[in-house]
Amino acid sequence: MDMHITDIKNPEINHENDPENMSLHERPSISIRAKVAISFSLFFILSFTVTGWSYWILTKLETKIDFLEIADNYMAEIQQARRFEKNYLLYSTDLEEALEHLKTADAILKQKNEQIEKILEKEHFKTMVTYMSKYHNQLVLLRSAKNDKEKELIVPMLRQFGSQMVSFAGEFVEKEQISAKRMFLLAKRVPLYFMSVLFVLMSFVLMFLARQLLLTLNRFMEYTKRIGEGDFSPILPARKYKDEFTKLAEAFNHMIKELDHKHNVLLESHKLRAIGTLVAGVAHELNNPLNNTLLTASMLTEDFHTLSEEEKMEMVNDVINETERAQRVVKNLLDFAREGETAIAPLEIGKIVEDSTRLVVNQVKFAKVNLELNCETNLPRIHGDEQKLKQVFVNLILNAVDVLTPGGQIRIHVQKDQTPGYVLVTVKDNGPGIPEHIQGRIFDPFFTTKAQSKGTGLGLSVSQGIIKKLGGYIHLTSNPDKGTIFTVSLPTTESASEIMSK
Amino acid sequence: MSKPLEVLLLDDEPIVGRRLKPALVKIGCRVEVFENPREAVARIGQKEFDIVVTDIRMEEMDGLQVFKHVQEKWPRTKVIMITGYAKIDLAREAMGKGVFDFIAKPFRPDDLRQIIANAAEALGAPIDFSSMGDELVEA
Repeated sequence: MDMHITDIKNPEINHENDPENMSLHERPSISIRAKVAISFSLFFILSFTVTGWSYWILTKLETKIDFLEIADNYMAEIQQARRFEKNYLLYSTDLEEALEHLKTADAILKQKNEQIEKILEKEHFKTMVTYMSKYHNQLVLLRSAKNDKEKELIVPMLRQFGSQMVSFAGEFVEKEQISAKRMFLLAKRVPLYFMSVLFVLMSFVLMFLARQLLLTLNRFMEYTKRIGEGDFSPILPARKYKDEFTKLAEAFNHMIKELDHKHNVLLESHKLRAIGTLVAGVAHELNNPLNNTLLTASMLTEDFHTLSEEEKMEMVNDVINETERAQRVVKNLLDFAREGETAIAPLEIGKIVEDSTRLVVNQVKFAKVNLELNCETNLPRIHGDEQKLKQVFVNLILNAVDVLTPGGQIRIHVQKDQTPGYVLVTVKDNGPGIPEHIQGRIFDPFFTTKAQSKGTGLGLSVSQGIIKKLGGYIHLTSNPDKGTIFTVSLPTTESASEIMSK
Repeated sequence: MSKPLEVLLLDDEPIVGRRLKPALVKIGCRVEVFENPREAVARIGQKEFDIVVTDIRMEEMDGLQVFKHVQEKWPRTKVIMITGYAKIDLAREAMGKGVFDFIAKPFRPDDLRQIIANAAEALGAPIDFSSMGDELVEA
């Protein structure tokens, strides 16, 4: 009791070292917590990458915009210079203005040289500077030209370099504008892409985690169902790794072990009750040989001197025979009652059923019902525990006896099952049958139709537990007024090993 | 000694009849032994016995049914029941119906002799069972 209290108080219940949990424990551990943590870190890394990229592209855009601004200014200056150059040639205005603008353009280039160089690359920057300086040189030449003739020589060169300078810069500005636009578009789209990728990824992770959780939960639901039906075999690993559910499985296995233990106690208490019933019959059966012995021995003493040798011998033999008869009666009950460990062995089902009928022979006699046993010969042996199987059949026969009125019939058939590898025992009575609405509950523990003093409601529940443990099944078919048939199917030794290993 | 007591003994265990017959003959009874209740009932139909000793639990027919036959045919006859094991309620029921007495297995021949002596006295034909016993011991 103390053990249980500490168990409840201590949240870190540890069943890892229970032998039935060894297989559960011997697996690599991937906890649900780790899975969640991994998914969250993945999301974080993804978000971080996208944010970093966004930051980078926006910075790049910023420099591009800066460059475009500078380029715009530069373009304005050189275009202005060319306008003044034209005015000079057409209207002979002052050329100083053109030179002034060119100077400003040059200043821009020099001032922002780093930024421009970054975008244009050194080569192109050099070309640009060269074009401008060539144009500048021509302008200076033009200014210093003495006459129209000289001017006319310079003008074509001037125009060539001027247009080259402007178009080169213009091309670049245009290119940069296109690239900036593209970058904008990308910067606009990437968050959308990111969102969709994130959505897909999240749904996938969610589905994966949910599926794993749900599948495992379903598995545990199956386990509870199985345990409820009396199958107390421990939970075996279903996955290649262990996680928080493994702890649950370990706790389950512990519970199964406890339940199995309790079930065995129940089994024992039910057996005791069956023994109690049988003892009444056995006492009667025992009284006959005892009476015969007592009468014979009494008469032997009384007439010792008058009896012939032959008569004396006959009487002594009677005493021996009757004592042996009593011994057989007691032995049969003792075989049934003996407390023992479950011993699975290959058994002859026919003999077990026959022994069972012999155990209840008095109950059958008292109730004045007929019991008929029909056993196929050459049946394959079955795997089972002799005592427990007898307990099942004794219980089924006693149940039938209980519902029958004098003159009733119990027919027991032992035969091969239609399913290969199984033998079938049917216990059929022609009693009142079991009403349909309680047929579903008939195997439930503590369910009984008998008076409280007569039945514990354990018989069929315990019987089902015994048969299921041996890999067989027990079920009933019952029609009101036509009686009840209980069918027990048990695996033969050939098929039992396969079933047990499942 | 007056006319002997007519006794029918019915038990499906053959040894019971085999041992009790000489035991009862010694106290002056004339004993007919049966193992089959039907044969016994048939015999009862033919002859009036003073005392019928029958086992209760038998296949085919039980002691109470035999008792009913006896009571219908010969109301004067005393019926003694042998039971496998004493069941108070069954005994009370049968006694209420008019069964003379009960004897539970296992019993000694003297136990039955005593009851038969009681029955003989009730019939008005007492037998000196105790002197018979002494005589036997002396012999």
